[in-house]
Amino acid sequence: MTKVFDGLTVIELADRRNQMVGKIMSDAGARVIQIEPTKGSPGRWVGPFLNDVEDPEKSLDYWWFNTGKESVAIDITRLPGQQMLRRLIEQADVFVESTKPGTLAKYGLDYASVAPSNSKLIYASLTDFGQDGPWAQLEMNDPAHLALGGQMGVGGYSDPKETPIGGQGRQAYNAASVITTHSISIALWDRMTTDLGQYVDVAIHDCCAICTERPVSYWMWYNQPSVRQTGQHAGPVYALPIQVQAADGRHMNARFNFPNNVWPKMVEWLTELDVVGDLASEKWLDAPTRAAAAKVGGEIEVALKALLAKVPAQEAFERAQAMGLTWGVIRSPEENLDISHFKERNFWRDIEHEDIGKTLPYPRGFYFSEGLDVSPDGRAPHLGEHTKAILSEKLGIDAAQVDLLAQTGVVR
Amino acid sequence: MTSTPNIPKGPLNGIRIIDFTWKAVGPWSSRMLTPYGAEVIHIEPPHEPDDHRWDIRPAVGRNFDIQAKHNDHLFGNGADYYSAPYYSQLHNGKLSASLNARNPKGKELLEELIKKSDAVVENFSARVLGNWGLSWERLHELNPKLVYLSTSGFGHEGSLSHYRTYGPIVQAESGLTFTSGLPEREPAGWGYSHMDIAGGWIGGLGLIMALMQARKTGVGTHVDYAVTEGAMTLLGPYFLDYHANGRPTRRPGFPPGNHSEWPPVAPHNTYRCAGIDRQGQDWWVFIACETQEQFEAFANEIGKPELLSDPKFGTMAARKQNEAELDEIISTWTAPRRRYEIQDRLQAVGVIAVAVQGPEDRVDYDPQLRHREVYPVIQNPEVGEYEIEAFVPKLSRTPPDNSLRATAVRENEQYVYGYLLGLSESEMAALRSEGVI
Repeated sequence: MTKVFDGLTVIELADRRNQMVGKIMSDAGARVIQIEPTKGSPGRWVGPFLNDVEDPEKSLDYWWFNTGKESVAIDITRLPGQQMLRRLIEQADVFVESTKPGTLAKYGLDYASVAPSNSKLIYASLTDFGQDGPWAQLEMNDPAHLALGGQMGVGGYSDPKETPIGGQGRQAYNAASVITTHSISIALWDRMTTDLGQYVDVAIHDCCAICTERPVSYWMWYNQPSVRQTGQHAGPVYALPIQVQAADGRHMNARFNFPNNVWPKMVEWLTELDVVGDLASEKWLDAPTRAAAAKVGGEIEVALKALLAKVPAQEAFERAQAMGLTWGVIRSPEENLDISHFKERNFWRDIEHEDIGKTLPYPRGFYFSEGLDVSPDGRAPHLGEHTKAILSEKLGIDAAQVDLLAQTGVVR
Repeated sequence: MTSTPNIPKGPLNGIRIIDFTWKAVGPWSSRMLTPYGAEVIHIEPPHEPDDHRWDIRPAVGRNFDIQAKHNDHLFGNGADYYSAPYYSQLHNGKLSASLNARNPKGKELLEELIKKSDAVVENFSARVLGNWGLSWERLHELNPKLVYLSTSGFGHEGSLSHYRTYGPIVQAESGLTFTSGLPEREPAGWGYSHMDIAGGWIGGLGLIMALMQARKTGVGTHVDYAVTEGAMTLLGPYFLDYHANGRPTRRPGFPPGNHSEWPPVAPHNTYRCAGIDRQGQDWWVFIACETQEQFEAFANEIGKPELLSDPKFGTMAARKQNEAELDEIISTWTAPRRRYEIQDRLQAVGVIAVAVQGPEDRVDYDPQLRHREVYPVIQNPEVGEYEIEAFVPKLSRTPPDNSLRATAVRENEQYVYGYLLGLSESEMAALRSEGVI
């Protein structure tokens, strides 16, 4: 079976912001050639590292974001490097870059300079703020985007004196990379008819700004500011907590609303554990009474906390779900390795690392789909692993010439 | 028949999508195609319009008296509803028709529509379409080119497929919630359903990729998107760290709040500033020095060049070691200052420093978002002009159309049933009286 991006060549100028774009496109069948600085992509210097040895070949973070890519190490601050990259872009279907606005224009590598010699090129810039605007030159990283873009401001604990908190895992870059890959897909779709490429300008800040769900609409339409709330949505007023600690110390998301068909089962469970209190009495059979009480906590909140204090999270999860309650366990990521559901869905894919004599299971990717198999195609490349082969194949530069360029530090 | 819908010109003209989405994650996935000219027909049950249509907060909108116009969320007055603003956000640019898919006649109509469409998108729980008699096998039989995107918490296959979820449960189960919080504290979570919005974008990406695959091969496919797996895919490095190094994330010190573990950077945190917001929450600034040069500039700007020669702070490793003490020193400097003043001063010397912005800051102040037209004003025939969140990528040849609105309940039934399926007025009237549409 062919994958959706089979036959496409993507040139990705290495950067921590855009490596997820190249990964998705590689997982979807494209040939992705990453152009790295000769000292390695900035992504190679981000841990965790294998055995905690700081080494550009051992970054697990880099391994994840660069599955299936090829690596060509070129110093593009040097004229011969710029010329080689230009020739590679001229033959490519897609070019993805994340430099500050104006950087590539200095090298004659901006869209206006390269488009005339490749009218089919889709040139995608995934940058902090896009190509223009008063903040376009600010210094940023992923958590800074969560701060300025709004995610951090709505995340954290209910105490208004405590710090707002952004989540880990470079989720600003990830979200913007998904939007960028979608935009590239739209451009590819258009190209199937018109045979013409185009320029794609995606700003991480813009993506963050439309990503926070309701708080923007509360303000924009109703002039209502929001408060941060532990473990749940920020909103105009404080809501009942939904995050409750279970007997094994793990926390659960457990909403306090019980439809009529569920309530008797809940009473049974509370009774079994001797925490039912007054809730077995007839007045609680009335749904509006329960709903009104649930809004202010009270007996229901007390009983549920007492119940979960006696039941481990997994057991509570299974029983609540069997009763029809939308409850979940706040798991650490690795706790999902023991959940058979994901194995049944073929979520873990073995990737061979022959260089270290290991095979590691990687997450498959977003979708379970035979017809759209977007999944990792081999390990991340070593630094400059494909320099010789690709410069020979694409530009006709022979091995001896590459060695000479390597001696002068232009390639590696 | 004349009521041709107002679809913008774009590369996806001619693509028709049947959209059974509700809540947020499903609506986003198809909403990403309307700005490019796709025809997305949002189908609601005849007597239960989408619950976001009446999602009005008990407050007076600042630009319009929307409360007065939507005071009956059960639609008892029979009025046509355009939409609450949030519906307009989630279903922007879609057409609207009603249909009871559980009615045999309704199912017949639906099957005819499916034959004329390129994709079906839904985010019901796993069994719903199957219960309608529309398994993937049946959909494929009706229309071999059809793409089917199903979005659910745990997917359609596997032993947890019948488990119930919504955004927060997906985030909890995947590990995403766990990655946000202060060390040795309960999880803080994300403060919104990240996997309803960013998760919806992932669904939208799967949809356009599957449509392209169908266009290339002539054969449609089922994309079984489990949002929990989407979230786990956003956490890849943690799984590799566990496998390669045996290091779990459930360990002392994790999650590290706003500190940076990988790479080890200090300073890298939020710092309290002067002032509070309208809810009494303190204002904060985020500051990070990822390089020695940035820290040199920073120490100088805050009037503490002596930090550079202090063995506790002179190198990144030393700063990381003494991070708590460094955070105190910085907090003392930021506390009496305004957040944007700090941002301006530190950015001017090349340091990562930004205000932690709230919704009000972004909507009413942020000059960059204004410049990029991220919150444009659109027209709605019912309530007039109001702001909306744009679909933000900029494409030079095929830009997304950000002037679209959501449609009223049943606004496009004439087009869907009259034009596409060729029903007469009397046939439609009969179907209405039977509760089919």
